[in-house]
Amino acid sequence: MNRPSNARRALFSDAALVLALLILGIQVYLFETVLQAVLEGQRGLLPGAFIASLALTLVALAVAFKAPHLDDGPRH
Amino acid sequence: MAFWRRSFPVDLAEEGRFSRREFARFLALVSAGFTAGLGWLWWRKKPLDGPAPATGSGPVPLGLAADLKPGQSRLFTFRGPQDRCILLRTPLGELRAYRQACTHLGCAVRFRNDELVCPCHEGVFEIEHGFPIQGPPTRPLSRVALEVRADGTLWAVGDLPAPAGPSPRASLACPLQARREEVA
Ligand code: FES
Repeated sequence: MNRPSNARRALFSDAALVLALLILGIQVYLFETVLQAVLEGQRGLLPGAFIASLALTLVALAVAFKAPHLDDGPRH
Repeated sequence: MAFWRRSFPVDLAEEGRFSRREFARFLALVSAGFTAGLGWLWWRKKPLDGPAPATGSGPVPLGLAADLKPGQSRLFTFRGPQDRCILLRTPLGELRAYRQACTHLGCAVRFRNDELVCPCHEGVFEIEHGFPIQGPPTRPLSRVALEVRADGTLWAVGDLPAPAGPSPRASLACPLQARREEVA
């Protein structure tokens, strides 16, 4: 069985980390937007926002716990 | 060596042990925190909403008239969710209710020392009729009609007097705020 090269592993690792950061960025934006809407009385957004946020968190958890080669970052 | 390492040559004892996976787990945890926050807002929906604000045109109950002692006040919403009003009992025992918006630039007035005081520009209104007695306001506060029923309950009745628009003086003093009020 082929084992990915070191460069490929580092690429996986970078991509997983970028994805986790991106998800957190989206979560911050989502939370801020929804909170603003809720304060203005638009509570109808909450179920959809919660489900979207939950999906993002599940992806972030999957990346954090299951992503292969996440520890194989660049060496210095 | 990376540029930032050369610029910030700080070595922490634990630095080497902090892996990317740990960092990703931390990010996932924070992400879960945001999800929990949204879930909490959703779950708290009903308790936070409380009873629907009185937006119809019928009488609005304000509780027992006897509950309000001279010198006390209470806020309530009348006709529209944004229309905050203040109910008070004067030192002589009379009940009065006014729209809370100051007739100068619309700040909320407060009941203090037997007067209705606007904190924004120190406008003061007397409580018998809502007339301005000090500061920039030139028109009286809008008054809400009250009714005490046989069972002792107090009701706000009738229409909410139209919001007093910005006075010409106010428009000159602060055209931006005056325009904001018009839009609202
Ligand atoms: S807004 Fe009340 S005195 Fe100016």
